[in-house]
Amino acid sequence: MTRTPSTEADGAVDGPTEATVPEPRRRGVVPAPLRWVTGRLVGAVVVLWAVATLIFFAIRLVPGDPAEAILGGPGSQASAEALALVREQYGLDDPLVVQYLAQLGRLVVGDLGTSYSLRTDVSGLLLEQLPGTVLLAVLSLVVAWALALGTAWWATLGGRTAAAVSSSLEIVASAVPHFWLAGVLVLVLSTQLGWLPPVSTGTPVGIVLPVVTLAIPVAGFLGQVTRDSLLDAAAAPFALTARARGESRSGLFRRHLLRHAALPGLALSGWAFGSLLSGAVVVESIFARPGLGRTLLQAVTLRDIPLVTGVALASALAYVVVVALGDLAERAVDPRERAA
Amino acid sequence: MRTRLSALIALTAVGSLVLAGCTSGGDASDASAPRSGGTLTYATGDAEPTCLDPHVGGNYPQALVSTQYLESLVSKDSDGEIVPWLATSWEESSDGLSWTFDLRDDVAFSDGTPFDAAAVAANVAHLQDPETLSSTGYLALGKVTGVEAVDEHTARFDLSAPDSALLESLTQPWVAMESPTALERSQEENCESPVGTGPFVVESWTKQDRVVLTRNDDHTSPPADAAHDGPAYLDEIVWRFIPDSAARYAALQAGQVDVIDNVQPDTLVAAGKDDALAEIDAPRPGAANRIELNSGKAPFDDERVREAFITGVDVTDGIDSLFFGTAERSYSPLSSVEPLAYSDPSLFEVDVDAANALLDDAGWTERDSDGFRTKGGERLTLEFPVSTNQSIPAEQSLFEQIQAGARDLGFDVVLSPLDVSSWYGALAANDYDLVSAPYTKVGPDVLRILYDTAGITPAPSGYFANLAQLSDPALDDLLKRASETSDADERADLYEQAQTIVLESRTVLPLYDQQNHYLVGPAVTGVRALPPVSAVTLYDAYTVD
Repeated sequence: MTRTPSTEADGAVDGPTEATVPEPRRRGVVPAPLRWVTGRLVGAVVVLWAVATLIFFAIRLVPGDPAEAILGGPGSQASAEALALVREQYGLDDPLVVQYLAQLGRLVVGDLGTSYSLRTDVSGLLLEQLPGTVLLAVLSLVVAWALALGTAWWATLGGRTAAAVSSSLEIVASAVPHFWLAGVLVLVLSTQLGWLPPVSTGTPVGIVLPVVTLAIPVAGFLGQVTRDSLLDAAAAPFALTARARGESRSGLFRRHLLRHAALPGLALSGWAFGSLLSGAVVVESIFARPGLGRTLLQAVTLRDIPLVTGVALASALAYVVVVALGDLAERAVDPRERAA
Repeated sequence: MRTRLSALIALTAVGSLVLAGCTSGGDASDASAPRSGGTLTYATGDAEPTCLDPHVGGNYPQALVSTQYLESLVSKDSDGEIVPWLATSWEESSDGLSWTFDLRDDVAFSDGTPFDAAAVAANVAHLQDPETLSSTGYLALGKVTGVEAVDEHTARFDLSAPDSALLESLTQPWVAMESPTALERSQEENCESPVGTGPFVVESWTKQDRVVLTRNDDHTSPPADAAHDGPAYLDEIVWRFIPDSAARYAALQAGQVDVIDNVQPDTLVAAGKDDALAEIDAPRPGAANRIELNSGKAPFDDERVREAFITGVDVTDGIDSLFFGTAERSYSPLSSVEPLAYSDPSLFEVDVDAANALLDDAGWTERDSDGFRTKGGERLTLEFPVSTNQSIPAEQSLFEQIQAGARDLGFDVVLSPLDVSSWYGALAANDYDLVSAPYTKVGPDVLRILYDTAGITPAPSGYFANLAQLSDPALDDLLKRASETSDADERADLYEQAQTIVLESRTVLPLYDQQNHYLVGPAVTGVRALPPVSAVTLYDAYTVD
């Protein structure tokens, strides 16, 4: 959207339409894809710094003593010597600013530090826990999209009743909390029917319930936006033209409407991924799945500042990557974006 | 005295019933005689330990898992008697300043290091080294100045003062014996895979998921009250962390796991209707769960106000209904598994009229527009920070009922549910009038930690154990004498007097034992709770069809 009025060539002649088109000369200096990548990278660094800073101060606003937590938390009492030693070892006695700068300094060189509670390298822990959560979130996003498009298709092609039923389903789905949904799914699919294991097993079948639990609310949201734009597109003149050319209803849906309908949903996928990551905190705990969400929950409870920071940074990074991928997908689906 | 005796009889009966219930699978018929092999999956609702070596820190989650691979010098049987374990016999010197332990001479740690007097000395040194960051074990050995290897299999503990609680302290998993060779590794390594003499060894630990334990085929040293000798029956234990209570129970019902802990009252009721599931009710030792009244500041610095609160609010009905009859009301500062626990129900009879009169008497005569009592324009407010990590949902509901009951008397009870660190923060800042803080320790010496004047002085962290802020020189003296006498009868008598003072101080409202229920699924039997801290032991457990 930036426009540098330095070149006289493209003056007022072409009018306001010119505003969205970057100037040819400028494009020659910095190629658009490179500019896009640079922008993304700078944005990512800013996001990561902001996350590190926010987390650092937020966790200290809550009363409580990390030294006590390091020494075993509830049920154990630390001796004065042990507490003093812990304070010194972890630098908890230093002024806040010193601690903050020391932490930023370590982060810049990629050192996430040592977890207070698990006494091991935070980066090692993250590498251990990240794949499980990313797999969970990505599968959930895929399933959510499948569910959303499925109901949208049905709503568009299935007549008035289908539209009404699917829209109510979407509203309910987007409103149910994870913990409740998890409980109902376990009760019905595990305890009553015995089809699926109630807690994660490490085998592929164990991931089904967590994925479905996470996917349903997101599918509700994606379904709502997708269906709205689908109906708009279906009412557009080009749809009528296509039908007039002899396109079948499902061909119209697949070849023409889907592109339009998917756009707002794709734009929302970054947000959806973020919501899946936060949902993972609940879902991983309920289904006893190892992952970032559970790690975060424990780390927050124990005031494990390095680990909380590490998980937050890893989540932020994953989020930034997914939003970028969402942008790329949008460009792929929408030729207008590419022409720009 | 009568109360104590009957409690003791009841306890013994319950103990033997529990034991009978747990071992009956083995006695029932030859067809179900113990057999080797198989995997048992244990699902714990306790937090995942941050270190598998219970010397480091020292909390209950560590005690639970380490009971499978570490062993202590002595143990306790279900009658409360100290029984041999890695030590075969022991003797206190006449001045009480040293204890000599004869050790088993046929035991080795699972890394091959022999268990001997030097190993005991190394363990005590490890616990007392500030670098270890031990808190529970460190406190338990507070009077121990050092351990001398008299000969290869005789260890002498030297003390700074006589310690009648030493044997009880040594039963605790937090002072279990570990291989000195393994202790020399870095703390990080030792936290990942501590090495003991126990029936299982730590095979692997996948964070946020599971610890895998495999049988120690060379194990020879069960505690004296175990059901069998030699190695354990099970090939493998999968120790899983499943924080959600409903998920644990669903997994047990589905046969995904075999034993679960932290069973909630509603689940216990549901499980009671399922013949395939066996329950183990094993209250934790030490203090009973109780609400403490902060006598260190207004309004509870006035004994009349404390008495009004304690006798004006009915808690028994709430306990019965919210715990569905699974928890029995306690009238003692100590857990019912403590043989020296003393109860006095007469102090807790509810009399609302008398309570109101006491409050009037104490000057809280006015009522504000919300119906709360006031004095000099100030409302009768009680801050009640609640640790959501330590108080189960049923207990939090009970506190809400107490809040409602106290409201009728004119108390404004402000309940603040807090995470554990914030909760410690509130206590350290003296921002509480009521508090419930569980405390697990073997033996009545826990009274000294909780009610001695010295316990009011905060540690550098601000934490202090005497949350009632009870300061009574007569009590301090009784507790000191009780901790130093070597005469069992005198000790019992001193602790009874001490508990009487604590109860009559009106700073303590006992609720029930620290609840500790396990459920065992149909695929295994022989599971029992090891008496010292009621942690489950899977040494005698085996699989059945």
